[in-house]
Amino acid sequence: MTRIETGILENALDPAAELAEVTGQDVSAGGVASFTGQVRGEAGLTALELEHYPGVTEAALARIAEAAAGRWPLMQAVIRHRVGRMTPGEPIVFVAASAAHRREALDAVGYMIDLLKTEAPFWKRVHTDNGSYWVEAATGDREAADFWLDQMASEDA
Amino acid sequence: MRITVKYVAALRDRMGRPEETVDLPEDISDSEALIAHLRETDTAAEALAHPSVRLIRNDTIVPRPAPLSAGDTLAFCPPFTGG
Repeated sequence: MTRIETGILENALDPAAELAEVTGQDVSAGGVASFTGQVRGEAGLTALELEHYPGVTEAALARIAEAAAGRWPLMQAVIRHRVGRMTPGEPIVFVAASAAHRREALDAVGYMIDLLKTEAPFWKRVHTDNGSYWVEAATGDREAADFWLDQMASEDA
Repeated sequence: MRITVKYVAALRDRMGRPEETVDLPEDISDSEALIAHLRETDTAAEALAHPSVRLIRNDTIVPRPAPLSAGDTLAFCPPFTGG
């Protein structure tokens, strides 16, 4: 039975504290993998604003973590995502998984962050000194999600 | 039938409003017909037709075209850019 923790945070996200929650919790886990996404300070960015679709976003994060737990034998699967206004260097997202072996944990983290990019309703708005604009979706994000979905489809076949 | 239409993020800016109540003619029964109907009175609604636009109907992400029923809430969303 996988412990699944997902959710939206309106205020600060503390990756170190989140990771501490996952590490050392289960003696049968041989590996803990995690990914932290943070605001990239580029091209005059002064702040990044994350909008989401309340209710739908939470359900999407839970569904992604549950799908990872269904695909890999995980002890834990965690997804935490910030919304609201953030400054460069601030954490946006934290994803972690623990499993008996490293490959399951690493792959589950890759799957969760890649699926989150295209399947959870978040939208980024960049603020600069000269105004603000909505971030456009990267085609590479779609391809990354499709990689996992194709792989899972071929295993199911 | 009457439905609630929401416009999210960049599409909210494009449409100039976050949501509206729309009274639809009898023959409009899905999202694509709704977009065509909106385009008759608002040129900005052209943006809704783009294939990258995602739909959330009554708090569920659904594929296009999405069938519509009276009382539905349909949200037009730009591609997701989280993470």
